[in-house]
Amino acid sequence: MSAQAPILAADKLAVRYGSFLALSDVTLAIKPNTIHSVIGPNGAGKTTLFHALTGRVQASSGRITLNGRDITHLSDDKRVPLGIARSFQVTSLFQNLTVRENLRLAAQGRTPLQALAPWRGVEPDGEATVIADQVMSRLGITAVADRVAGELSHGQQRRLEVGMAVAAKPRLILLDEPTSGMGIDDIEAMKALIRDLGRDHTVLFIEHNMGIVMNISDTVTVMRAGRVLVEGSPMVVRDDPEVRRAYLGNMMTGDIA
Amino acid sequence: MNRSSLHFILAAIVAVALPLFMRSGTLASEVLIYAMAASACNLLLGYTGLLSFGQGIFFGLGSYVVGLTLLHTPLPLGLAILFSIVIGALVATGVGWLSIRRQGVYFVMLTLAFSQFFYFLAYTFKDITGGDNGLLNIPRPDVGPLVLRSSWAYYAFIAIIFLLIFATLQRVASSTFGRTLLAIRDNEERARAIGFPVRTFKITAFAISGAVTGLAGALHALLIGVAPLSNIDYHMSESILIMTIIGGTGNLFASVLGAGFYVIVSDLLSTIWPRWLLLLGGLLVVVALFMQQGLWGLLERIILALRPASRTAAGKEPGRSPL
Repeated sequence: MSAQAPILAADKLAVRYGSFLALSDVTLAIKPNTIHSVIGPNGAGKTTLFHALTGRVQASSGRITLNGRDITHLSDDKRVPLGIARSFQVTSLFQNLTVRENLRLAAQGRTPLQALAPWRGVEPDGEATVIADQVMSRLGITAVADRVAGELSHGQQRRLEVGMAVAAKPRLILLDEPTSGMGIDDIEAMKALIRDLGRDHTVLFIEHNMGIVMNISDTVTVMRAGRVLVEGSPMVVRDDPEVRRAYLGNMMTGDIA
Repeated sequence: MNRSSLHFILAAIVAVALPLFMRSGTLASEVLIYAMAASACNLLLGYTGLLSFGQGIFFGLGSYVVGLTLLHTPLPLGLAILFSIVIGALVATGVGWLSIRRQGVYFVMLTLAFSQFFYFLAYTFKDITGGDNGLLNIPRPDVGPLVLRSSWAYYAFIAIIFLLIFATLQRVASSTFGRTLLAIRDNEERARAIGFPVRTFKITAFAISGAVTGLAGALHALLIGVAPLSNIDYHMSESILIMTIIGGTGNLFASVLGAGFYVIVSDLLSTIWPRWLLLLGGLLVVVALFMQQGLWGLLERIILALRPASRTAAGKEPGRSPL
């Protein structure tokens, strides 16, 4: 597997917010069809890394390649058609639109210029609508299809949040703390969902719950203070003395074993 | 019957009913002209979340373009109106393209600045626009066999255009494009994150809004035979915004209500008291404080209150309305 070319690679990536260096010298290679997690204490730069990889934030220096193509300077919307989609740590939905419409829009986002035609109606059997229906059944939220997103329970909103990324039919899916704020039952279901997504996507996800990370990841990257501390299989990471020190006294949940 | 066709029928009823209840064909025509301008403003404000103080630019330019074409060229009325639409769209594209580079307050300030800019442009080039006096003696030629000289004949002409435009804007609002605008209004960051080039969508919304507003401006100049400086004044932008807000921004028919209310009430109040704008100001305060859904929202609440309890559940969903 190590011989395989990475689907996404970051080379000496740095992000600067004013004088604050949020990310520095991050080199990362995501192998295709793997589940890759990013962990680290709060403020380690995990979300900034996601912002840089998806184009929400432009890298101050370094290079990002997707399947060998340089995407460092592409804006976030232009990266979606190339096969990158993400979910957010803080739920970010179209609160006043229905669940189906949220997902239909997310599916449409791959071919956004088709939606620019003001004379084209929303076809009930159009491709985007079909994808929306598929994603709803995969996520188990078909029952709330016609509810407005803002009315859903927290757990359902978190599922929809992940669904928005899935609906774009990406090759690489980035999930930023998908279990954030979830109760125990919801966490188990989310874990199953991420594992399931890993079968037909490359998954890169940020997570605080060690139970999930150690259970389903192929590779774990540990970050601290804007840098990569350690990277390796869950077993390697678990036994690393640096990691143990980095986490001492930090808010980590779940079983490390 | 879906909501869209219901709203179209309501618009058609307005167009047919105005001549029955109003003595002045000019006033009735004004209602429909401003209804178009307010609907176009609603596309930006209600659907895209853009508070544009630039609508007067497109309205005024529409007036000047139709007037200049008819005064200085032998071209027919239809073509002159078409020019107004095209110029409205083009200038709106430019104004939109520059203004949406900033968000929130700065966006509003930019549209306001453009509004002042175009006003002084029209004021300065007196030779072309007539300056303070306005562009006078704009003819209203016949369109083929249609004789538009009487004010009610012209009203009928406007009513047909109004219904065509209303249906077109409804189509735009319910298209994938319109649904994407709603998504952008709701959550611009997410819209971009799922792949939509948000700026392109906003500029397109501006272009459509500018085209319709330019048309409204052209029809207004033809109505009164003058393209007055006040049509491109900042106050015109303000009036169009006020009509849109008084009506409500939830759907396009609300803008027809807002425009009708504004035009008719202004006319009534101005015959009672010369300081009628004061009363209108008070009314706007009431709308802003207590009726944020506008007249349409008020109407909806009344209908909900009158309906039997078993049917109210469907109307309680946010974003849905009983009508």
